[in-house]
Amino acid sequence: MTQRGIASRLRWSIGLLAVAVLIPMGWFAARRTLADVDALCDARLAQAALGMDAMIAQTGLAHIEVAHDSQSLPDVPVTGHLGETPTHEVEVGYQVLGADGRVLLVTENMRRLGAPPEGDGAFGDVHIDRRHWRLYMHRDSARGITVTAGERYDSRRDVLRALWMEHALPLLLGIPLLAVAVRWSVRRALRPLDTLTSLLTIRTAWSRDTLLLAGAPEEIRPIVESLNTQFRRIGHALERERRFSADVAHELRTPLASTMINLDSAIAEKRGMRAAASLPDAYASLQSLARRTDQLLLLARLDDADDMPRGRVELCAAARAVVDELRATARVDARHLDVSVPTLPVWLVAHGPALDALMRNLVENALRHAPAGGHVCLTVKQDAKATVIEVRDDGPGIPPGRREAVFERFHREATSLGDGFGLGLSIVQRAARLHGASVDLLDPPDGPGLLVRVGLPH
Amino acid sequence: MNIIVVEDDARLGAAIKRALEHLAYTVTWLRTGAEGLEALRSQSVDLVLLDLGLPEKDGIEVITEARRLKVKTPILVMTARDSVESRVRGLDAGADDYMTKPFHLDELAARIRSLARRAQGLADNQLDAGALSLNLSTLEVTFQERRVELTRREFALLRILMERHGKIVRRESIESSVYGMESDVSPNALEVLVHSLRRKLSPEAIQTVRGFGYMVPRDLT
Repeated sequence: MTQRGIASRLRWSIGLLAVAVLIPMGWFAARRTLADVDALCDARLAQAALGMDAMIAQTGLAHIEVAHDSQSLPDVPVTGHLGETPTHEVEVGYQVLGADGRVLLVTENMRRLGAPPEGDGAFGDVHIDRRHWRLYMHRDSARGITVTAGERYDSRRDVLRALWMEHALPLLLGIPLLAVAVRWSVRRALRPLDTLTSLLTIRTAWSRDTLLLAGAPEEIRPIVESLNTQFRRIGHALERERRFSADVAHELRTPLASTMINLDSAIAEKRGMRAAASLPDAYASLQSLARRTDQLLLLARLDDADDMPRGRVELCAAARAVVDELRATARVDARHLDVSVPTLPVWLVAHGPALDALMRNLVENALRHAPAGGHVCLTVKQDAKATVIEVRDDGPGIPPGRREAVFERFHREATSLGDGFGLGLSIVQRAARLHGASVDLLDPPDGPGLLVRVGLPH
Repeated sequence: MNIIVVEDDARLGAAIKRALEHLAYTVTWLRTGAEGLEALRSQSVDLVLLDLGLPEKDGIEVITEARRLKVKTPILVMTARDSVESRVRGLDAGADDYMTKPFHLDELAARIRSLARRAQGLADNQLDAGALSLNLSTLEVTFQERRVELTRREFALLRILMERHGKIVRRESIESSVYGMESDVSPNALEVLVHSLRRKLSPEAIQTVRGFGYMVPRDLT
């Protein structure tokens, strides 16, 4: 299932949050206002009844009784307007009852009320002429009259409706406006992402250029930076691969060329003896090709060996095995190859094949550079800080200024006899690095030659 | 014809030297760019076969420096670097031809002949001086319509004289072309070689110009 986009998720969540917060807030505020309005209206109603009673007390009950002594009803007309201005007069009214229950004074719209519900200082709801009224009764026991003030509910309802509109309308209009604003600002905030996407889309495959995103916000900047770091890394890796394959080509094509020339010579020679003379050289070239292929494969494997499991390795036995193997393959020729190891076993947690390759390549290089009748010695020893593997020969050595360069892949010293020498020290260095070991090229303490010391830290 | 091979790989260098010597060329094999450049500057060299991946001084540097020193000797580059850029770089630096390893001996020989022809202004591999003819490609020599079998040195001597037949070829040029940079050549080796060649052809085929050198006459009968 595909995830919804950030923009649409932001839009929906901001929108829903706004609705979820604003609507209850509006509802509560409206309810609160309505309750206040209700209380206010009730208070005014009570005030009107009390005011009327006070007025009667001033005027004197007898005056009212006199004025309405006739049979005619004590009606107060309700016009519904003051002069030209329409009022809500029809919606409010009052009634005054005497001690004997006779109506002393009543507004026209409340004539049908008759006797009000019992109670002093009480509010009540009644229906008059199918209209719903709110009433307040005040019983003046001193004068024996009951004053009732009334208000039609639809009057209140108008006020309430107006108040509702005031609260709800901004919300109803505001929410769509808010949605549009949210949509716009989300899109605007995410614009750098769109730019990044289009930059990545138009990028050519294998491009090594870094991305330039001017004014990228701080959320995007780490993405751009880590992308650029990755691009640079890939660029370096590609460059390394390219150089490596060029070097591999050189390393393999040269012995191949020599094989071909030798075989061509053999074929060109009609006489058997001369033809046969080229064949051992062709064979030796093929051997060299095979050896270089092995070394390249080993090097490639060591390059990927970081994740390979390590095991317990007994270094003395491994050193002896390497020397025995080299003695058996007759690479030693007329040189003396010795091995010197401690009497007690030296156990390491290490990458066994890599250590073997390290020792084998060091000894092979030493044998190649030692003169006929010369000596090569592989030594394993331990000191306070490290387990040390040393290989020394009594050949011409390498001058201090050139020691750095010989570690480069495919480097060849002018004095070497060509046989894939360029890879040997690369293998040594790679294997050493796998173990966090140091490789130093030193002068032997006595006499000419080269001493290679590999220090494996404890 | 004196060819210098600059190649650091022992087997390839030895193989090329032996193969070219069988084709009657005089070959000096050097292992470093510095030695190659030194030889180019100080010796009379007819052609250089140059590897590019050399220790100490890279092949391209050798070409560049040699051309800067106005050395016009044809340079045939042989290398494992087969990319177009590296060919262009080599040729632009002043190489005359470019061969990618591995290559066949026949192709190498053909390119050497082609460069030699170009250097000497020849149209084809056939050299004629009257009744005497020499084919640079098949290494066949015929005199008065009869095949003559020559040794490598005799062929090398006849080749340089035939390349400039009708003209006197200086003794020093002949010696450098036939013996190259060999140091243990006896003083009268050339006289001995000329004598044996005259026996296989005719006494008139090679004329001695006292104090200068030798010459194959233009209309030999």
